[in-house]
Amino acid sequence: MMKTPFRVLSRIAVSGLIASAMTLSGLAAANAASTKAPKQITIGTLYAGSGSFADSSLPQYDGLKFWVNQMNAKGGVYVKAYHKKIPLKLIAYNDQSSSTTAATQYNQLITQNKVNLLVSDFGSVLTSVAVPIAQEHKMLLIDPTGTGGSFFTPNNPYIALTSLPTSGVWPTSLADYLIKNHYKRVALIYDQNDFDQSQATTLLAKLKNAKITPVYNNSVPTSTSNYSVLIHSIMATNPDAVIEFGYNTNDIPFLQSVSASGAHFKMLFTIFPGQLLSNIEQNVGVSGLAGTYTYPTPPLLVYNKVNYGLGMNAFTKEFQKSTHSAPNFLDVAGYNAGLVIQKTLENTTGLGQLQLRKALYTFSGKMFTLDGLFKLSPTGAQIGETLPVAQLIKSGNGLKVKVVYSK
Amino acid sequence: MLVYTVISGILFGLFCSLMGIGLNLIFGVMRFVNLAHGDFLMLGAFGAYFAYTLYGISPAISVVINMIVMIVIGALIYYAFVPRLLRSRDPEMLSLIFFFGISQVIEALSVIFFTNNPRSIDWSALGTANYQLFGQSFQESWVVSALISVIAIVLVYFYLYHTKLGYATRAVMGSLDEAASSGINVHRVSAWAMGIGLALAAAAGALSPFFLGSITPNMGSDITTTSFSIIIIGSLGNPLGTVIGGLIYGLSSMFMQSYIPSWANLVPYLLLFLILLFKPSGLLGKVVRHA
Amino acid sequence: MRKPLISGGIVFLIVLLFFAIMPSVYSNEDLFFQAMVYLALAQGVNILYGFTGYLPFGYVGFFGTGAYAASLCITLLHFPPVLGIIAGGLASVVLSILLSPLLRLSGAYFAIGSLAASQMVYYIVSNPSLQNITNGPYGINLESVYQPHTSYVTMIVILALVMGVVIYIRNSRFGLSLQAIREDPVSAGMAGVHVVRQRAIAWFLSALIAGLVGGAFAWHISVFYPTTVFDLNISIFAIVFTLFGGVTTVLGPVLGMFVLYGFYNLIGISEPQYFQLIYGILILLLVLFLPSGIVSIVKRRGHYVP
Repeated sequence: MMKTPFRVLSRIAVSGLIASAMTLSGLAAANAASTKAPKQITIGTLYAGSGSFADSSLPQYDGLKFWVNQMNAKGGVYVKAYHKKIPLKLIAYNDQSSSTTAATQYNQLITQNKVNLLVSDFGSVLTSVAVPIAQEHKMLLIDPTGTGGSFFTPNNPYIALTSLPTSGVWPTSLADYLIKNHYKRVALIYDQNDFDQSQATTLLAKLKNAKITPVYNNSVPTSTSNYSVLIHSIMATNPDAVIEFGYNTNDIPFLQSVSASGAHFKMLFTIFPGQLLSNIEQNVGVSGLAGTYTYPTPPLLVYNKVNYGLGMNAFTKEFQKSTHSAPNFLDVAGYNAGLVIQKTLENTTGLGQLQLRKALYTFSGKMFTLDGLFKLSPTGAQIGETLPVAQLIKSGNGLKVKVVYSK
Repeated sequence: MLVYTVISGILFGLFCSLMGIGLNLIFGVMRFVNLAHGDFLMLGAFGAYFAYTLYGISPAISVVINMIVMIVIGALIYYAFVPRLLRSRDPEMLSLIFFFGISQVIEALSVIFFTNNPRSIDWSALGTANYQLFGQSFQESWVVSALISVIAIVLVYFYLYHTKLGYATRAVMGSLDEAASSGINVHRVSAWAMGIGLALAAAAGALSPFFLGSITPNMGSDITTTSFSIIIIGSLGNPLGTVIGGLIYGLSSMFMQSYIPSWANLVPYLLLFLILLFKPSGLLGKVVRHA
Repeated sequence: MRKPLISGGIVFLIVLLFFAIMPSVYSNEDLFFQAMVYLALAQGVNILYGFTGYLPFGYVGFFGTGAYAASLCITLLHFPPVLGIIAGGLASVVLSILLSPLLRLSGAYFAIGSLAASQMVYYIVSNPSLQNITNGPYGINLESVYQPHTSYVTMIVILALVMGVVIYIRNSRFGLSLQAIREDPVSAGMAGVHVVRQRAIAWFLSALIAGLVGGAFAWHISVFYPTTVFDLNISIFAIVFTLFGGVTTVLGPVLGMFVLYGFYNLIGISEPQYFQLIYGILILLLVLFLPSGIVSIVKRRGHYVP
């Protein structure tokens, strides 16, 4: 009877020792920049295998992995500084959607794995902790989708946003569209987080300039998953346009509640159908989405005339071949981050982090990928891509995207 | 507006009662804090989801299937682990960590088998009609779910007050030592309570897609926290007090959403906190603390 | 009679030397920083739960309060960071005074009551209505004072204080009186122990610890959202580490943190896809086979554990 705990303990002790030994000896091949060409280029990143960000983080990681595999199948990525192709190695840890865990793991990638390039996890929350760490270690943070406005400051050269503009810029076209089409009774409901509230702030300011006061304007906790009563209150204000800014876990119950309540609005806008259409369609059905508006992103916006990487249709085909699932926006964003890295390496004079950053700006404003124009502001924020407004229209058994306004 | 809010609150509140009652039953009988409560509910939700999408089984029927499966699982968990837990110095607190571990395992396995994509059951799966209540119209899924919740709660009442096992269960809740000395098989009673407690959680799970938005493997921990608020507002260890707790919770959250939406999530916790301070045993409970 | 104090002192020295030296051996400083954070929090839980029997499920509320109070003193009042951290600790003590009626509850009631309190603080801090003060959902940015090495050293100092306090409690009349209260409050009271006051002191102390640690954490991590510092997992980690190691000792939380947090990081790095599963199973095994913590193995053989 007494033996079991001891055995467990001794096993723990042994594994503990192995653990510390492994830790001490360092887990990955160190790969400091030197004049000799490295055997491989290491890319470090994190993904959320579980938790609240997993459904967006995993596809972004898949997109990046797809790009790495594609490059390695061709013998690696061309690095200008060494005039040759070098294979890639992707090191990825699972942060489980926890930002404290993510902080340690970003540090691990930089200090232990000594990665050449650091790519952050999906979204602002998991990217936020990486910003000061990258800056401290003078590592350029390739940020695919962390759009928090406060990350981009003039005194931090160590960050570059590769897809999507900062969230405060998103509603620009939407506001113009509402104003041009004379929507006077606008209802706005948004969630209490950086991503949604910064959009609400921009939209409200633009509407105010056009002398439109929303008939309903409320923020709700991000954990809100039951919208029946809220929709009832919104209906009571008799709006002609209803805008809901949330995460996809908010958009789904919101759209479901609208269908279930039988409410009909002249214009209904939500964010995530434009990014995760097939998933949201599975949840709310075609009828729940038909006629509603969103910000369309690739693959809903199809860019086939690209000057770098695969065009949208070619990407969809290849991606489906290797992963057996159709890509969504985050797969595109992950792949696009890869393309930016590829082009950076093709242009860089060395693997020094500031050299990499300099290389980024050599093609900023000139590279057009399946994700649109890549253009960085001086602070590293993305300004090339704009988010138009589109309507989802029922076509056969599915939905078609019709862009109704773009700048 | 007011009428709509009140009725929504009651319908939602009845569902909340069902959501909390299993947690409370387990606490009442074993003094165990089931931190995996929300995860069992999540399993029930996925059960109903797959039953509906793969076989077209209505969530109302899944409620029954879920309950039968979970009673078995609950009893198995009980006999496999609980006797060991009871031998420790402070089983009540140790159970917290034990169920935290269970919750981690369930969530991890669910991610592996179900993936992280949010899922929903079509809102019309429980009927598309709109009910007219006091001049307001309500979706059928809410009304049906609330009715199922009431039936489940009435069954719990029947079990506790009109069956032999129920008498024994209440005796154990009252005092474990006295119950044991009067010849009640405490293990058997507890195993049933564990099974029924998890079964009720899974039953609520089958209805959760109609109240709690899409279902994902990580939905459990929030539900556990909410369920705790509900059962404490009612009264910890008294399953029927949960009905009051659920209704208060449902009504207060709907009222906040109607009138001060941006603070909606504060109220349940504020209520919980105030009740703990001024009437620690819950609205229906007896005083438990002496020193 | 001095022997217990000496063995406590040895643990103290080993732990602090470890954290002082390790960053130069293994340069992932952040890993050791967070290990210190969890160790200090685990000791805070130890003071409260180990010595008084109150399990603070919402312990993270004090941590988050400390993090926010420190950050706001730095950004709004332009305090130097170290002073900000002290302010963070004091803010937590103020919160614990406000919440002291919770001590009237026992067992699971207290655990859940403290959880509710921490959620309330979180919702208030993150609410957009208070954006002018707390920056609401936009979170905190302390990049202008970001100095990871200095904050690391500060954290070592805080950990030293915490360990010192726990060693003191373990070996003093105060600690004995707390344990007497834990075992039987009524007879302790009759034996002349000031039940309410002693309990309150332990409560304030543990809040102070969480507040200081939260402040240091905020400074070290610099850019964060409210969800980061009010993450319920922080409470759960601290509690699990403490109970796994063994409560009412100085050594227990130390062992608990080293083994479990070590494993946590090892799994995260070597088996990321089965991270959560392995961790969950590990916890289950521990609860079932070592319910009184690692130190119980040594204690069972009749040895003294500092």
